[in-house]
Amino acid sequence: MPAFRPTALLLAVTAAIAVALPLYAASNLKGREAPDFVLKSLGGENIRLSEFRGQVVMINFWASWAGPSRMEMPRLEKIAATYQSSGFVLLGVNMDDTEASATNFANAYGITYPLLLDLRKEVVREYAVETVPVTVLVDRGGSVRFVHKDYRVGAEQTYVSEIRALLKE
Amino acid sequence: MSKTSRSILAALLLAVAFAGAAWPQDPAAAEPQAATSETPNADAATGGDAAAGSATAAPEEFRTLDSDVQDLKKEVLDLNKDLFVLEEELLFPSNTQVAVYVSLDVGTFFNVDSVTLKIDNKEVANYLYTAREAEALVKGGVHKIYLGNLKVGQHELVAFFSGKGPHERDYKRGATLNFEKGVGAKYLELKISDRVRKLQPEFIIKEWE
Repeated sequence: MPAFRPTALLLAVTAAIAVALPLYAASNLKGREAPDFVLKSLGGENIRLSEFRGQVVMINFWASWAGPSRMEMPRLEKIAATYQSSGFVLLGVNMDDTEASATNFANAYGITYPLLLDLRKEVVREYAVETVPVTVLVDRGGSVRFVHKDYRVGAEQTYVSEIRALLKE
Repeated sequence: MSKTSRSILAALLLAVAFAGAAWPQDPAAAEPQAATSETPNADAATGGDAAAGSATAAPEEFRTLDSDVQDLKKEVLDLNKDLFVLEEELLFPSNTQVAVYVSLDVGTFFNVDSVTLKIDNKEVANYLYTAREAEALVKGGVHKIYLGNLKVGQHELVAFFSGKGPHERDYKRGATLNFEKGVGAKYLELKISDRVRKLQPEFIIKEWE
C-alpha cells in the first residue's frame, strides 16, 4: 500500500475548493429555483418571494454606500413603474447594517418599490452575493434566469429586453 | 467384421441418413410451402381485415401505455410519500420530537408580524408573517413554526410575539412555558386570542397530549 502523502492530500483539497468556490457564486443560481425568503420592507410589511410566483421578479441587492447602486436604482425605479402593470415586481434587498441608512437613501432618491432589509445577511448568503449591486431575474415559474453583477451605464437596456422576454413567456 | 455385416451397417446408415433428411420436411417444411402457395389469395382476402385490426389495436395500445404511465406516476407518488414519512421518522423520531404550532383566535386586537421562539434559551425559530399568512391564521389556519428534537426532561419555551396591537400600536409580548418532555412526541400550541373584557390580546402556550 502506498504511503500517506500529506502534500497530495493538500493538493486534492485545494483543487476541490478551487472547483467548489465558483459553483457557490450567484451566477450559478441560473436555471435553478430561486431560494425563497421573507424579509421586512422599509414600509414595515413582510414580503415573501414565493408569493410572487406567476410574476416576473427582479431582485436587486444594493447598499447605500455603493456608488453603482446610487446610479442604478433611479433607473430601476423607472423600469418598475413601466412594467408593474404587466406582471413585473422589483424587490430591492438592502445590505446595509442599519435600517436608518437604507431609509435615508430611499427618501433621498425617491425610491418607491419595496426595499427589503436583510440585516442578518441571510438572503445575501443564500444568493452568494459577492459584489454590490447584484441583480437577479426570476421567471414566472420561480427559476433564476439572469444574473448581473455590478452595474454599468446602459445595462438597463439589457434588463428591459430580458424583462420583456420573460413577460412574454 | 464380415462383409455382410459391413453392408448391413452401411445400409442402416444410409437408411438413417435418408430418414433424417426426410423427417423435417414433414411437419415444418410442408407448412411454409402451403403458406407460400396460399399467400397471394390470402393477402387479397385478409388485407382489409388486417388493416382494420391494426387500426383498432393502435388505440388499445395507447390506452395500455397511458394506464401504464398513470400507474407509474402513482407509484412515484407513493414512493415519494414513503420517503417523506421515513425522512420525518429518521430526522425527528417520535421519542424526541417536539412540534410547535401557532394559531390565532379572532385576531381583532392583534395583527401578528413575527414570532420568535427560544427553547432552553436558544433561538430555534424566527418567523416573519406576510399579510397573506396572517390572514390565513385569522381564517383558522395553524402554522407549524418549529419541528425539532429534544431530550427527555424539563425544558423552557419562550415565545415572543410582535405585531400591531389595539389602535395600530406596535405591540410586543412574551410567553413562557416550562414543560416536561417525556417519551413520545410533544406538541405545543402558541395561541393568540382576544381578551374581550380588557380589549387586549392574550398569548397562551398550550400543551397537547
